[in-house]
Amino acid sequence: MKSLFGEGLLKGLKITFSHLFSKKVTQYYPEEMPKLSPRAHSNFALDADKCISCGLCKNACPNRVIDLASVKDENNKRVLTNYEMDIQYCLFCGFCVEVCPTNALKFSQDFETAVWFKDDVKLHMYQIDPSTVKTIAKEESGNV
Amino acid sequence: MDNLFINLGESIRNGLSGMFSPGITDILMSVIHIVAILVFILLNVLWLVLLERKLGGYFQQRPGPNRTGPWGLLQTLADVTKLIAKEDIIPKNADRWVFRAAGVCVFIPALMVYAIVPFDKGMSAVDLNLGIFYFLAIASTSTVAFLMAGWSSNNKYSLVGGMRSVAQMVSYEIPLVFSLLGVVMLTGSLNMTDIVARQEANTWNIFVQPLAFLIYFVAATAELNRGPFDLPEGEQELVAGLYTEISGARFAVFFLAEYTNLLAVSAIAATLFLGGYLAPFGWTFLPGYVWLILKIYLMVFLFMWVRWTYPRVRIDHLMAFGWKFLIPVSLANILVTGIGIKVFESYFK
Repeated sequence: MKSLFGEGLLKGLKITFSHLFSKKVTQYYPEEMPKLSPRAHSNFALDADKCISCGLCKNACPNRVIDLASVKDENNKRVLTNYEMDIQYCLFCGFCVEVCPTNALKFSQDFETAVWFKDDVKLHMYQIDPSTVKTIAKEESGNV
Repeated sequence: MDNLFINLGESIRNGLSGMFSPGITDILMSVIHIVAILVFILLNVLWLVLLERKLGGYFQQRPGPNRTGPWGLLQTLADVTKLIAKEDIIPKNADRWVFRAAGVCVFIPALMVYAIVPFDKGMSAVDLNLGIFYFLAIASTSTVAFLMAGWSSNNKYSLVGGMRSVAQMVSYEIPLVFSLLGVVMLTGSLNMTDIVARQEANTWNIFVQPLAFLIYFVAATAELNRGPFDLPEGEQELVAGLYTEISGARFAVFFLAEYTNLLAVSAIAATLFLGGYLAPFGWTFLPGYVWLILKIYLMVFLFMWVRWTYPRVRIDHLMAFGWKFLIPVSLANILVTGIGIKVFESYFK
């Protein structure tokens, strides 16, 4: 009997009318970037100062995406010289981020990974000339 | 300001009658009326399409179109440009001439309805004595045009859509006519101007005929093929119904006709039930035609509100609702109105 007099219909009209003035839920994407959740699997960010070049991320990767190179400096510590990710093979499982002992590798807020050219897919995250690193061998040869 | 358009019309008529014989002047004035109505329609439709999409967005907590121009104001322009630029496709085995004519045949009746709408006191293109009868007669012919579009496409979905639109429009025309009959009984005239004059003398018809207004609203929604009664184009079962094969500029014409119809039906509702060009509460600081347009837009808002609130009904429910509920109720409304008029006449006069 209730439905005969259109109570539900009026209720529906009321709801949509309240929506007319309520805040819109749409995100204006390119102008306003969405804030990703802390656990979102997005593009990677590397803090090279924290990286100890242990290579755990490289070993953890199931698709062998990560390639890194390092040299030993004068204190016999490893210094990162090159860090690359073949991101086209990456499945964003996050093992590398999980395994990183110093939290050098993280997921960032950036999720726009599309590129125009195929060659740009490779992610060059860190690169320095190995010859600029002061090594023990260099210092010895300098002394001679 | 109050008589801006009437004075304008008078001065044009005087100017023309100085140059031409009375017969030719009348013809030229008719042409001017048609052009004025066309401009009114086109300007309104341009805005209504955007309004529909904006309101649709707002009712669903979306912003609606907002990329083209400020507040999406150029969206309709962009859409029309796109539609006109598209290839003109006629299906291989279509009935070519009927297919071509269908869009125009939908638009023309919608346009003709405006002839009798009194935009202000003495500001209707033609002041017909049989105004409402004319409206009903003209509006019902667009049914044929929808069937033409459905049949000529040579497509099963189009045909089913066309058949549905005929079934729906013919069924809902009956309660539509009956709901208007209540108003006509009160006024004793089919003339739109007389009906507004009666509302000026008494009260707006919506207060004496609320049920008729509701029936008119529901039946008009079905006549317009608008949601929740937009079954002729039900995507879930008919692709796009009778619009399946219609594309490009032809689709734009159908779209134009749809909104012209919406505006016409709203204008009739505003005139018959909401007092037409009369100002509410004696607020005569705005001229009559502005009040009429405000009332038309109130009706348009109602139509859009309903469209974006309810889901599409099932076709058998639609027919059952029309025949088993609306028609009896509208008949009962006529009976009650008749008794009411008799009682009022015998006791209060």
